[in-house]
Amino acid sequence: MTTPLLEIEDLHARVCDKEIIKGFNLTINEGEVHAIMGPNGAGKSTLSNVLTGKPGYEVTSGSVRYKGRDLLKLSVEERAREGIFLCMQYPVEIPGVPTSTFLKHAVNAVRKHQNLPELDTMEFIKLLREEGKKLGIGNEMIKRPLNVGFSGGEKKRLETLQMSILKPQLSILDEADSGLDIDALKVVAEGVNALRDGRRSLLVITHYQRLLNYIVPDFVHVFADGHIVRSGDKNLALELEEKGYAGFVKES
Amino acid sequence: MSALLQNISLIGDEIPWLGKLRQKGREAFAAAGIPGAKTEAWKYLKPRELDADDYVFSVSATPKSVDALPFDSYRLRFENGRFCPEGSNLPLQAEVVPLVETFMDKEGRAPFYAEQTDWIEKYPFAALNMACLNEGIFIRIPGGCRLDKPILLDCHICCGGENLFSALHNVVVLEGGAEAEFVEYYHYTGEVKSRYFNNIVNQIFIAENAVLHHIKVQDEAFKAAHIAFSPVCVGAGGRYESFCLQLGADIARNETKVMLNRAGAECEVNAAYKVDGWARADTTTDIEHLAPCTISRQLVKGVIGGQSKGIFQGKIHIAKDCIQTEGSQLHKALLLSDGAEVDVKPELEIFADDVKCSHGAAAGELDQEQLFYMRSRGIGQEEARQILIEAYLDEVISKVGNEQIRAWIKLLLHGE
Repeated sequence: MTTPLLEIEDLHARVCDKEIIKGFNLTINEGEVHAIMGPNGAGKSTLSNVLTGKPGYEVTSGSVRYKGRDLLKLSVEERAREGIFLCMQYPVEIPGVPTSTFLKHAVNAVRKHQNLPELDTMEFIKLLREEGKKLGIGNEMIKRPLNVGFSGGEKKRLETLQMSILKPQLSILDEADSGLDIDALKVVAEGVNALRDGRRSLLVITHYQRLLNYIVPDFVHVFADGHIVRSGDKNLALELEEKGYAGFVKES
Repeated sequence: MSALLQNISLIGDEIPWLGKLRQKGREAFAAAGIPGAKTEAWKYLKPRELDADDYVFSVSATPKSVDALPFDSYRLRFENGRFCPEGSNLPLQAEVVPLVETFMDKEGRAPFYAEQTDWIEKYPFAALNMACLNEGIFIRIPGGCRLDKPILLDCHICCGGENLFSALHNVVVLEGGAEAEFVEYYHYTGEVKSRYFNNIVNQIFIAENAVLHHIKVQDEAFKAAHIAFSPVCVGAGGRYESFCLQLGADIARNETKVMLNRAGAECEVNAAYKVDGWARADTTTDIEHLAPCTISRQLVKGVIGGQSKGIFQGKIHIAKDCIQTEGSQLHKALLLSDGAEVDVKPELEIFADDVKCSHGAAAGELDQEQLFYMRSRGIGQEEARQILIEAYLDEVISKVGNEQIRAWIKLLLHGE
């Protein structure tokens, strides 16, 4: 049996002394797409922050293994270089840093880690043009300071662009559809789906079923009160949409 | 310092105006002395430690090699405080000469400007500089002339074992409608712990409708002292635009006094500093609105790490009846460590109605959300910090109009 890509066992985590994740279990294999759905306040964002190593989130017990290694021992940047990518719900604005400059730093940091030669400016611009075109991101946008004055849709498209050029092994999408109209949602979904090559895996965290019409999951988990209360296939998402979360939360 | 003054012998004391100016400098310096913590204008920097007797004047300029021009420009090279013809190339369409060459000037242009020193009693280091008046440059851009390339004052110290004292005095005159870029660059090679002292005065005169772009980069050795004072007179419709970046030195002050003398005169006095270790970097400005319809703008941003200290003292004075005047001032600092300190003293003196005047100050730390975002994309902690620091200063560096100079400044800041 091959090693799972991500293996979370009985994870407990807290923020500011408040326990948010309470006995969370999940295994993701290569090439699988998992969706985690849950009501507001269930701890969905906390889970994504714990997995990426955001300061301020404390794991009190349990384990997370990534490619067979203890993920929790790695720094934020090491996790990213090893192929974990968080597509953020609210990407931050960084005035003074042109988007293209930021992207070049990121691409080369990851390439360096993989013992690949760093891209020079020409090669990088070429890559950026190719991938940007698919997402409707032009030259003008990548010259602007990172996320500054970007609309909600532009921010999400830029997150997707980063995913396309960094080619992560495991992408975590935190409410990727919030603030998107239907056209922007399709563009983002196409970008995400392009990464589904049978080897890369996705963890889609979402409040609504809508996104899952475009990024169709292999597994759906209902997340409430800090842990998974039920798992199923994509039909579970439809059932949720129909019944609402209330029924599931009671079950737990 | 008194030993230094006793031991120097300068040529030209017999030239009446020059002898008189040096004498005036000596007297003013003797009366004021080196200020300490009790002198209001110097209470944060406390430069009393500079009152040492082990400074020596450099005898001659003997450069081993002169580095390439950092950007396309004319250049006047100074080596250990002495003019150095080897590395210099001068424009023909303007008068740009070492100051000593003007001492015997029959037309007396340089003396006419150099003698305008009403401020001398209040500026002890400028008085000390005047007492040593000898080295420096005289720039005169004739009326209507637009100089095609910047003039670079390339001041290099080759640090040996001794504590050099260098007093540079520059007189920059732009006649009506002229435009020029004047760049000062202070740097060093050699013994990194040298305790040399660069003492600079720039007397700047901008006539009606003339524009001066004044850039300065101070990248001195980390035990060095750098004290500079620029009094600037701006005529009707004239414009003074300056940017100063301070990176080095142990104790440094860049002080600018702008006198907006006639209606329509404007100035923009911007600065950035990035200090670490135990360094102290002081930016002091004194903007005098002496005529109606004058405008001044100031933006100063600092990055302070280690146990270092940033100082900003900014004064805007609006004289009586100077209506429809605008003055704005903003200082922002980024504190990178618990030991970092920033002292800010804004002062507004407004004696007229119908004016717009504003000032502001802010101090903060690196944004943790921004740091996390970059690290979550694989960028290392240190690299991410460096990117954020450069981005922070970019707001003020981007105000430098000349693209080549801006690129050079960013390169120096990046430390390559």
